[in-house]
Amino acid sequence: MDPSTIRLETERLLLRPPAVEDFEAWARLAADEKTMRHLGGVQPRPIAWRNFAFTVGSWQLQGFSGFSVIERASGNWVGRVGPLQPEGWPGTEVGWTLASAFWGRGYAFEAATAAIDWAFDQLHWSEVIHCISADNLASVALATKLNSRKQRTATMPAPYEGVVVDVWGQSRDEWRARRNDRSAM
Amino acid sequence: MPQPDIRIETGRLILRPTAPEDFEPWAAFMADIEASKFVGGPQPRPVAWRGFLSMAGAWAIQGYAMFSVIEKSSGCWIGRLGPWMPDGWPGTEVGWGLARAAWSKGYATEGSIAAIDWAFDALGWSEVIHCIAPDNTPSQAVARRLGSRPLRRTNLPAPFEAMVVDVWGQTREEWHSRRTRSAT
Repeated sequence: MDPSTIRLETERLLLRPPAVEDFEAWARLAADEKTMRHLGGVQPRPIAWRNFAFTVGSWQLQGFSGFSVIERASGNWVGRVGPLQPEGWPGTEVGWTLASAFWGRGYAFEAATAAIDWAFDQLHWSEVIHCISADNLASVALATKLNSRKQRTATMPAPYEGVVVDVWGQSRDEWRARRNDRSAM
Repeated sequence: MPQPDIRIETGRLILRPTAPEDFEPWAAFMADIEASKFVGGPQPRPVAWRGFLSMAGAWAIQGYAMFSVIEKSSGCWIGRLGPWMPDGWPGTEVGWGLARAAWSKGYATEGSIAAIDWAFDALGWSEVIHCIAPDNTPSQAVARRLGSRPLRRTNLPAPFEAMVVDVWGQTREEWHSRRTRSAT
């Protein structure tokens, strides 16, 4: 199957693999200090392009990677959320990065919930993790809201060698038990 | 936005887009200090993985990128060469980088001729360049065999901002006039 045809819809958002037209918004995010503070700092456009190509290539060859998140009402690209597991990564992550203009609306929670469902259902992962810097309080709050818990610390692989993160996460069984509770209410 | 389904055959080589099974030889190539010297230096495996998937992604985004080069006689991946123009690049490059075991057999020239034909015919490029380090004499020899000449010296964009390269190249008209002559 061509993975670029995958579409996930939530109440306010569309999640789909990155398309060529997303790059300008992607590059703006990569240049935004506020957004990139916990992600290794701002990136010049040629680096942003390589990372964009890396994400597209991961979809092509691994069959999963970060989704582009689109605000359904406006059509705006608001960020990327989704599964990733590059070589040497500490586990099967569902991560999130939203442009700062779209913070504070619950979009990351809404998108991450759909992406975690998809990772467990379609990729058959048994666990999701989130690699979060200890001082990234917004992401710590989101991981907590997703009912993940801090499990361990990990040192990231190159090109992030030396970066230590907290590994948050939960098992598929934990996620599904809570999803069933919520939908039963 | 899938990768295009392209396959080019030369006398001894197959050129095709990046495939998952290419990663192991790619990682070995990028870990080889001598082979990687002129393509940015040796990379640990997680970094090689990113470069590998960026190449696959470039195929999907742009419709072209460097081909994986397969040696027909062995079926082995021996390197990557072809059109390459990431954001900020100094021009429309056809570049080459082959694993050490595939050096000195004329493979870079053989593959690059096919890739340059494809770049001019299928992509409609009007010029090809080759970014070559001033001390990379083997690649300078390949560029000369292809009929390219040194045009200017420049810096590369990030993450290679510290690298100075000579830009070699030629126009489509120059290429086609030589190809026509050699056909007669």
